[in-house]
Amino acid sequence: MLVNCLQSLGQWLLRGLGGLGGALIMLLQSVTVVPGPRGWQRLVQQLYVVGVQSLIIIIVSAAFIGMVLGLQGYTLLVDYGSEQAVGQMVALTLVRELAPVVAALLFAGRAGSALTAELGLMKATEQLASLEMFGVDPLHRIVAPRFIAGVIALPILVVIFNLVGIFGGHLVAVDWLGVHSGAYWGNMQAAVSFADDIVNGLIKALVFAVLVTWTALYQGYMCEPTSQGISTATTRTVVYSSLLILGFDFILTALMFGGL
Amino acid sequence: MPQTPLVEISDLHFARDTRAIFSGLNMQIQQGCVTAIMGPSGCGKTTLLRLIGGQLIPQQGQIKVFDQALVNISRDKLTQLRGRMGVLFQSGALFTDLNVFENVAFPLREHTSMTADELNDKVLLMLEAVGLRGTKELMPAELSGGMARRVALARAIAMEPELVLYDEPFTGQDPIAMAVLQRLIRSLNDNLKITSVLVSHDVAEACEIADDLILLGRGGVVAQGSPDKLLNSSDPLVYQFMHGQADGAIPFHYPAPELITELRTTKAISSLQTSTQTHSSESH
Repeated sequence: MLVNCLQSLGQWLLRGLGGLGGALIMLLQSVTVVPGPRGWQRLVQQLYVVGVQSLIIIIVSAAFIGMVLGLQGYTLLVDYGSEQAVGQMVALTLVRELAPVVAALLFAGRAGSALTAELGLMKATEQLASLEMFGVDPLHRIVAPRFIAGVIALPILVVIFNLVGIFGGHLVAVDWLGVHSGAYWGNMQAAVSFADDIVNGLIKALVFAVLVTWTALYQGYMCEPTSQGISTATTRTVVYSSLLILGFDFILTALMFGGL
Repeated sequence: MPQTPLVEISDLHFARDTRAIFSGLNMQIQQGCVTAIMGPSGCGKTTLLRLIGGQLIPQQGQIKVFDQALVNISRDKLTQLRGRMGVLFQSGALFTDLNVFENVAFPLREHTSMTADELNDKVLLMLEAVGLRGTKELMPAELSGGMARRVALARAIAMEPELVLYDEPFTGQDPIAMAVLQRLIRSLNDNLKITSVLVSHDVAEACEIADDLILLGRGGVVAQGSPDKLLNSSDPLVYQFMHGQADGAIPFHYPAPELITELRTTKAISSLQTSTQTHSSESH
């Protein structure tokens, strides 16, 4: 019984390590090539697909989250007569935590799952095999532009999330609940540090972008080329990405703001 | 008929997980011929095409294509070798984000330095050869299965390969598309002096088109020869396959315990017993 458990644990660990090694090799092989002129064109296409097409969900979510933060901040702070500080509360919450984390979670659900399904379907319909037979490496042609596009797109989406969220907070706190506009912006400007808050938030966004895009592409590239396999891979992308985002968020927060 | 082998396979062993697919396969594919690889489902026909294309690596043995060993070949050499091959995949494998014209132009853009005009003319000639010049602006999703297969054929031969591998070209085709594909494969083989290897389940079509048939089974080659030779073979496995008999050397039923031991309702058991008795009295 104990031997069987140990054996299963060993197998699980070895499979996990093997998968991680495979994913790392795939990443290195795909991004160690300088794209040619048509490569840049493909990168722009992918930026449109993973970035521009994610804009709506990012903007709408950011607006609502900013509005909720404005409302919650006001109701908490007004009891202490500190409602003027709502601007800095909204901004710091968004810039340090909510924008990178929520944008990355949404990005995993919208763009990550789409990338996995696309690659899985390309595998199932033999398009990847077909590329290989034409002497074209699918890692360079298909995986690399999608990976680079994901890594560029998410930090930009996080910046947009921050901006929209802050304006959402302004809409509720200033325009609806009557907080002084000068206090909203002034306190925010005084409290938010570019180097400590904005840069750290963007570093988080970059790390999450690598994790989500890498997970999505690996799951799609390695999936079983059947409908069941693609469905499992797509689910795994969303689940693994979400767990990685939340886990790494804690580690990064501890390193950046926890005084470690 | 020329008798120079273009593909030589010797002592090939290949297994997926623990299931052995080939154990000591030896075969040759002659240059300039249409060779049909046939065999029961799961005997490794498509796997064999992938091994010849260098997409799979055998655990043991050697595969030589154009006199070049594929095992341990460098990536650059394999790419060069693939430039001399064309593959028609079972699903067509057209790139879904490119239209018909761009699909056929794909290998030409990748591997030649043709001018835009030369490329345009070449693609149109290839599409004309498969009768689909009028579909050049359509996307793959707008084509029927047979049309997609023909576009894929135009793409496979665009680089004028010396060897073309066809994976189940007739599966799911209506009789008209099947006849067109059959005529195309034969005429391309003869006019362009290429070597064609096709995997097929369709005995009648394969016999009509092929110069040489290879029947796979039991982890290796069961029989090889002209269609007439295989049709008249007395080997039970060859006879069963070539004449489409339900049961014989290749069992129709996947190995399982006796049916009666797995039935749970008395109604099903009595129905099975009745049908068994009827069959035995009919046979007497």
